[in-house]
Amino acid sequence: MAPGAAPEVAARSGTASGGEAPSPEPPGAGPHRHGSGQGPLSRADREAVRKRDPEALGALFECYFDRVYALIFRLLGERTLAEDVTQEVFLKVYRAAHRMDPERDPGPWLMAIAHNACRDVWRSNAHRVRRRAVSIDEHPHLGGGLSAGTNDPERDALAGERERLIQEAILRLPEPLRVAIVLHDYQGLGHEEIAAITGVRHAAARKRYSRALAALALLLGKLR
Amino acid sequence: MTERESMTGPEARAREALRALGAPRADEDFRARLKREFMAGPAAGGRVAAESGRRWWHRPAWQGAVAGACVLTIAVPVLNRGPRWQLVSGAGDGIAVIDRRPIPLGHREDLGRALAPGARLTLDSGSPLEIESPGHLVIQVTPGTELSLPGPPGRWFGREVRATVGTGEVRITTGPRFAGARLRVDTPEAGVLVSGTTLAVICEPGGTCVCVYEGSVRVGEKGRPMSRVERGRRRFVFVDGRPPEDDSIRANEGVELARFRDQHRARLERAAE
Repeated sequence: MAPGAAPEVAARSGTASGGEAPSPEPPGAGPHRHGSGQGPLSRADREAVRKRDPEALGALFECYFDRVYALIFRLLGERTLAEDVTQEVFLKVYRAAHRMDPERDPGPWLMAIAHNACRDVWRSNAHRVRRRAVSIDEHPHLGGGLSAGTNDPERDALAGERERLIQEAILRLPEPLRVAIVLHDYQGLGHEEIAAITGVRHAAARKRYSRALAALALLLGKLR
Repeated sequence: MTERESMTGPEARAREALRALGAPRADEDFRARLKREFMAGPAAGGRVAAESGRRWWHRPAWQGAVAGACVLTIAVPVLNRGPRWQLVSGAGDGIAVIDRRPIPLGHREDLGRALAPGARLTLDSGSPLEIESPGHLVIQVTPGTELSLPGPPGRWFGREVRATVGTGEVRITTGPRFAGARLRVDTPEAGVLVSGTTLAVICEPGGTCVCVYEGSVRVGEKGRPMSRVERGRRRFVFVDGRPPEDDSIRANEGVELARFRDQHRARLERAAE
């Protein structure tokens, strides 16, 4: 989807905070968890972003960079590639800033742009060649992208290994299923928002998520 | 039934595992640089972002390469194409049938236009018809011959061309530009490989006779290995499968081929200059 189409996604995606509750669980997981700690942008900030005010752009960046990068990294599984795609996403955001809907949370709009950028990567021949050539176990960048550790090396090692297995399982999922489960359980988006971002019907988004979860459970069972 | 109620144990654990995943940390330098570029905009300082943000096919170097490749794809086959067939001689009351279209030998322009590579040419009567690909080769088609025309050899590649003689006789002589090219002539019972020479291929009811006036030619039974036939010699490949016979060139062919060669030598050399 072109950047210009992304505001439409935001418009269709319901309320600023997501419209539909992602699950009965408290949304401790997801985008809020991965944010920088800054609150959401005010309406005035969003208006200023539309005018490409540098300060407002900086605020938008601080507010959403971690979330965008986390999504892209989890979908692509490679730090260098995730950085390239994140850079591309923010360039698109800059170019399409005037089309952002100031009435709504720009989160789903950004997620839609990030999702489209990842889809472009998957569609590219270079990516297909790379996926064939490099297995996840040989992935040099995977470790470098993992989350911050604690002061306990043993615990860090276990957590790192666990995270590696989960990421490996995510990457083994077919791309539509990967998107469904990462957006829902990792980013904390509702099915309705995911449907708007991925351009499928609500029922289809739910179904994809169910299939993704079943597949992920199976993969994790095998990998352990 | 809610999503949670319909979930199996492993699925619930998978979901919890996914939710427990940490936030991957981006490289701090990358983050800071991207923020600077994002705030300044791609036009101000974000050249790198602009470059890498563009699709590869939007970059000038790639666009140039793609355009160049397109031009080469179109231009190279055109430039590689050898000179097309031209009518050298053909007159009288005879009729040539080219791709089932009868053309009187007197209609030189129509004949010239119809002489395309792969065209099927039948000359029933009248005088011989001579066609040339300037600098490459001249083919003389005698009355009573059925022939499919070879394409002129390419300049750089596609230099092996193919003709078929069904019945009758063709005489062939090559010019300087033919060097490195090969003409394969197939008859009902023989294969002939020409790589710079003057020869006649005669299809008779009993078989195919190849008379070599100069240079050497490789001749063999159809579908079997070929061997060399030297100048002044001939090879007869029988239609009934008997082993081919070699002998001296037929006397009348020696005369005809000498005349044919002398008549066109100067023209071929001039065209090659």
